[in-house]
Amino acid sequence: MRVPFNLALGAALVALVLAVALVSLVWTPHPHAALDVANKFAPPSAVHWLGTDQLGRDLVSQLMVAARNSMAVAVLAVGIGCALGTGLGLLAAARGGWTEEAIMRLSDLGFAFPALLFAIMLAAVFGPSLPNVVIAIAFINIPTFARVSRAAANQVWRRDYVWAARAAGMGRFAISRDHILPNIAAPVIVQMTIEFAVAILVEAALSYLGLGAQPPNPSWGRMLSEAQTLMYLAPQLAIWPGLCIVTAVLGFSLLGDGLRDITDPRLTRVRAA
Amino acid sequence: MTLLQVDSVSRRYRLPRRALMRPAPVLTAVDGVSFTLARGETLGVVGESGSGKSTLARLVMGFERPDAGRVLFDGQDNNDLPPAALRAARRRFQMVFQDPFGSLDPRRRVGWSVAEPLRALKGTEDPAPRVAEALEQVGLRAAHAGRYPHEFSGGQRQRIAIARAIITRPALLVADEAVSALDVSVQAQILNLLMDLQEELGLAILFISHDLAVVASTCDRLLVMQGGRVLEAGETGAVLDAPGHDYTRTLLAAARL
Amino acid sequence: MIAARGLSIRTGAGHAAVRSADLAIRPGERLGVVGESGSGKTLLALAMIGMVPEGLQVSGEIAVGGTVVAPGDEAAWQRLRAREVAMIFQEPMSALNPLARVGDTIAEPLMVHRGLTRSAARAQARELLEETGIPQPERRLDQYPHELSGGQRQRVLIALALACDPALLIADEPTTALDAAVALRITDLLVRLARERRMALLFISHDLAAVARTTEAMLVMYGGDIVERGATDRVLADPAHPYTKGLIAARPSLAQRGRRRLPTIPGTVPPLEALAEGCRFAGRCPVELPRCVHLRPAATATASGSAACHLLGAAP
Repeated sequence: MRVPFNLALGAALVALVLAVALVSLVWTPHPHAALDVANKFAPPSAVHWLGTDQLGRDLVSQLMVAARNSMAVAVLAVGIGCALGTGLGLLAAARGGWTEEAIMRLSDLGFAFPALLFAIMLAAVFGPSLPNVVIAIAFINIPTFARVSRAAANQVWRRDYVWAARAAGMGRFAISRDHILPNIAAPVIVQMTIEFAVAILVEAALSYLGLGAQPPNPSWGRMLSEAQTLMYLAPQLAIWPGLCIVTAVLGFSLLGDGLRDITDPRLTRVRAA
Repeated sequence: MTLLQVDSVSRRYRLPRRALMRPAPVLTAVDGVSFTLARGETLGVVGESGSGKSTLARLVMGFERPDAGRVLFDGQDNNDLPPAALRAARRRFQMVFQDPFGSLDPRRRVGWSVAEPLRALKGTEDPAPRVAEALEQVGLRAAHAGRYPHEFSGGQRQRIAIARAIITRPALLVADEAVSALDVSVQAQILNLLMDLQEELGLAILFISHDLAVVASTCDRLLVMQGGRVLEAGETGAVLDAPGHDYTRTLLAAARL
Repeated sequence: MIAARGLSIRTGAGHAAVRSADLAIRPGERLGVVGESGSGKTLLALAMIGMVPEGLQVSGEIAVGGTVVAPGDEAAWQRLRAREVAMIFQEPMSALNPLARVGDTIAEPLMVHRGLTRSAARAQARELLEETGIPQPERRLDQYPHELSGGQRQRVLIALALACDPALLIADEPTTALDAAVALRITDLLVRLARERRMALLFISHDLAAVARTTEAMLVMYGGDIVERGATDRVLADPAHPYTKGLIAARPSLAQRGRRRLPTIPGTVPPLEALAEGCRFAGRCPVELPRCVHLRPAATATASGSAACHLLGAAP
């Protein structure tokens, strides 16, 4: 089978961002928080590949550490949201009746709640921090995954092999674990990929507002907001983190689209009779 | 000796409401159906979509509760049993489904699927020899247990589904359109297999089909259903030679070569 | 007269799904094609309307009326479809646009191909529906497909197929998704339409009973080959090819009562790549000769028509 172009490009971009984030754990060109005020706004050079910022910190090192923060937030938040949401979706599909109604109405409520507002609320109560960003993004992901997994699970529950499992005497929990979960994995993974992109964007937005990563912990969003006042003096300080956000978000979006294209049976070509 | 006694069962479904102030319409899928099935006997249920034959299968399997009437298996009403006891009782009555491509989980190996009823019983014995035995009883090889469903043809998959159904050595097999999706040449093999297994294991079979010819050549007695009701019932030969109803005559006309 | 000569269809990997098939249908003739899954009967039907799925290679020639069309000539086929050749399918629901009223669906080709005005097309659509025997045709015009029963939908599809008065109607398993009583009425309708309109009918089915009551002549296909052909009643009464014999014997019949073992054809239809180069039935045939595996048998005259089997050839 030929790999679709969007899938290949998306996977490549995601791999690039992930690789940079992982490398930052063991190596950056300079300590990312090292100040060198004498050397501020340095142009790109062999020492500072992309130059330095208004406090003389190495831009590449900051971008690398920010990639790590961004990825960590996205993976943790979407992971938690997916686990809880999919669990609820499976429960709703398995139990049906008023349980399903209740879960779905609650998730409607969750949808009605803007993520930014929730994060601002959390920050107001507990103070701004990356963990609070993770909680906020995880929370808004729960209804999304509950909905996707329930819709997919309800389809699988109608399959004959599920009836066969019931005829065999399997309980609802065992059927959910053995048959439903493996067979809804594809749409859930596609949704995860798309939600990664959203999470990166939300994290950047929250950090831009000062509700996310706190100094000296770098974040693409905060780098953007700090560069804003220096736009005319040093536009590169805004351009590079902006490009990083675009790369990561575009990468995950394309990857999600590509995965959907190859896993959605409605889009795969029917075999010739 | 009576194995299954279905005693004037009815099943009604509430349809989606059409208007706010009027009561939701009700569909009576099965309407006062009675019959008995003895050990080792085959009863055919003929009818078309909407005749209630599949609902009847689900009632017999205990997937649904009747709104009226009783389903007695060995004199015991399954609907009186607590859920755990019902699940344990299921090893005595098993089911084979219509679509051989849909009744096996595509992500599971054949051996895993065939062993599922044994796992449900939470026994401690190793299922592998029982799986091998069941696969050989349906004309497959023990080595097939390690393969995935997509590696098999439709007829072979139906054999696998039958192996799963007989692995707990049930007394009753409910076959809901079990050969309808198969090619004619394969259909005959599966029908013969069912008859062989019936003699070997003393199975009673509730054979549900829309095809009168298939029922005629496999069943001792038959039941013609339409709109949830039994139109006529009797020995296969008697019903076919002297159909008592226009609808039965239409089915005969459709099946005649 | 519509005819195919030396029609072959190959998969991308080069396996033959249909091997040099010849067939001809005269106006008003009803020809059945019987086969199991993988026999190539649906591909043969699709080739007759120039709709073989992408990725398959079609060769040979198809003559519609006096003109010969290359199988891949999409522009030519577009001119012929609907007007010369029309087709109905197994699943009437998925073949209708769920968002369009029945009347609009039928009126569209009338306006596009025959240049009728909207009101004339609607009147014509009503007449077509009436011809298919659908109850209350006037009311159906403004209904949506989901408001109709399966049999009514199939009648709508037939009306749609008749819209441009085709010379040939291809029906691919038109009764398989329908209940027996409804199926009986649909096949009766197809027979009546073929007679009244002098329209040729190519009736594809796996159901011998449906073919028996719908067609005058039949082809039996196995593994992409036409293995037997002839008058329907005579082929069914006196089959010559071992496959046709096996197929008829394996079919449960009303004459056998109560737990009779059916004669079977051993094995299962092999995948295309595993079929023998010679007779496609080699490997499952009960009376196989050594040459069957590599030498393709030629059609030989039989009492009921002809069959392609070495046993029938020059007797030793």
